[in-house]
Amino acid sequence: MNEAFDREEFDRLAGEFRYVITDMICRAGSGHLGGALSLVEIVISLYWRIMKTDPANPQWPDRDRLVLSKGHGGPVLYVALAYRGFFPKAMLGTLNANGTNLPSHVDRLRTPGIDMTAGSLGQGLSCACGMALAARMDGKRHNVFCIIGDGESNEGQIWEAAMFAGHNKLDNLIAITDYNKLQIDGFTDEVMTIEPLAAKWRAFNWDVLEMDGHDWDDIHATLSKARDIKGKPVMIIAHTVKARDCAAVENKPESHNIKVDNAEVHAKYMAALKRTGYSLPY
Amino acid sequence: MQANLHELEMRNVYAMTLAELADANANILVLEADLSKASGTNPAFLKAHPDRLINAGVAEADMIGIAAGLAVEGKIPFCASFTPFATRRVYDQITISVAYANTNVKIVGTAPGITTGANGGTHMCFADLAIMRVMPNMVVLSPCDCYELRACLQWMAAYPGPVYMQMIRMKQPKVFDASYRFEPGKAVRLCEGSDVTLVSTGYMTPFALQAANALATEGVGADLLHCPSIKPFDEEALIASARRTRGVVTVENQSTLGGLGGAVCEILAERCPSRVKRLGIPDRFGEIATEEYLFNKHGFGVEHIKQVCRDVTRG
Repeated sequence: MNEAFDREEFDRLAGEFRYVITDMICRAGSGHLGGALSLVEIVISLYWRIMKTDPANPQWPDRDRLVLSKGHGGPVLYVALAYRGFFPKAMLGTLNANGTNLPSHVDRLRTPGIDMTAGSLGQGLSCACGMALAARMDGKRHNVFCIIGDGESNEGQIWEAAMFAGHNKLDNLIAITDYNKLQIDGFTDEVMTIEPLAAKWRAFNWDVLEMDGHDWDDIHATLSKARDIKGKPVMIIAHTVKARDCAAVENKPESHNIKVDNAEVHAKYMAALKRTGYSLPY
Repeated sequence: MQANLHELEMRNVYAMTLAELADANANILVLEADLSKASGTNPAFLKAHPDRLINAGVAEADMIGIAAGLAVEGKIPFCASFTPFATRRVYDQITISVAYANTNVKIVGTAPGITTGANGGTHMCFADLAIMRVMPNMVVLSPCDCYELRACLQWMAAYPGPVYMQMIRMKQPKVFDASYRFEPGKAVRLCEGSDVTLVSTGYMTPFALQAANALATEGVGADLLHCPSIKPFDEEALIASARRTRGVVTVENQSTLGGLGGAVCEILAERCPSRVKRLGIPDRFGEIATEEYLFNKHGFGVEHIKQVCRDVTRG
């Protein structure tokens, strides 16, 4: 947490994240690329600048929690956890392999640092409510962060959890919507609009902030502000770009789950990245 | 705790027992979805521990998720709702956030099967034992009286994993007494006999016991196994009994597909092929009606149990 911020270094790290994530998914043969790449700057900001964690003690009781309710974003979280030292970077090469501890969708029983299992959409925010409530009951001061998807926000359970958190004034809960405007079948405004999104969350008694989910300064300022808001849970609507910086599929519905069935396609995705030339840690 | 537990409604024993467990363990919580009065936790538990009853409103899916989140933080949430809303309505939430994530959540389905009375077909769930027992990591219980309910709750509070329990809300005939100790995966032999093996659980056990006692006066020996633990199931007791008798009859307040009768058939087919008759609701939805009407319509009341046991005995 609170690492000195060096813009050039963070830009380089974000590039390395995208390079490693894309390679992991290509090696696995398929995977959810778009929704992992849209979260890179947010996840780095959380684990390097905002959240209190202890990689040597993933279950440290006073740590901040993160529930990745859009569980298919696993790869971006795995890279963050490995680079923070929760487990060896070499493990990253096992994504989705038989017997892996890095499954496509996050699993608290398999991966050090994963605070809650998710994958069936809509459930993680309810779990995060329970975790935030437990912290309040125990007089703990940590925060519970929860990242949900924009497509995931079609699920009714999200709004049940929204009602519960608002009613109970869970101000230690900070949710982030990865609003990349795309879901599997197309643009959210065409498949099932979630607008007016900010007004919805306000109507459920949340405080609502918005940020550019790829701008280091905006992310840091918004997350910091969210932590200081008292009396209400906070929803941060993060405007992001699906498959950010991977030109082959950036902002395209097909980035949701890419198929990579040969070395040529693998090479195509790697070459399409804005930043390349990193060495792989596995 | 008073000695005459059986004079109380089951839901009152539920609330009193949880309140006692909560006195001893600060992590015990009650979760409700706007049915706290129906579950009995309001007022009994609420008065004792006002800050430890969490009401999710009419939002069962959210209740299960909240429970899972509380459980990963070390809490022991007991979530209750009417049986259909505690199981089939939230089947995926229980599957993923509770069973797959292996969180220490206790789920209580109240008013099981035909006991839901005047609420009728929408509220009559005949499938909960079947659908919950095919879920890995899930323990499935169906106690038959107040003493067993209390013992099950004490065990659940101490067991660190997901449990589903059916709970009858009203008074139940006394089968056990205060000395009863619940053992997961164990059947309780309530009658010994060598003519027919009679297997029951939950609400149907007092009826099965009545049938077995009546059969004894006719010279038909029913070996009555009450199975509070549907999963794990006492395979050894079932097989030992089936080997000694001429056939097996199951009776449950559930569909004859997949629940107690289903479990018994799976075990016997693999390990001790036997003649089996399953009594319960035969692949039908519920309807608004008295229990007597439903027993007669579907053929699983005391007289039906006796007749089927006689038939099996005669071969």
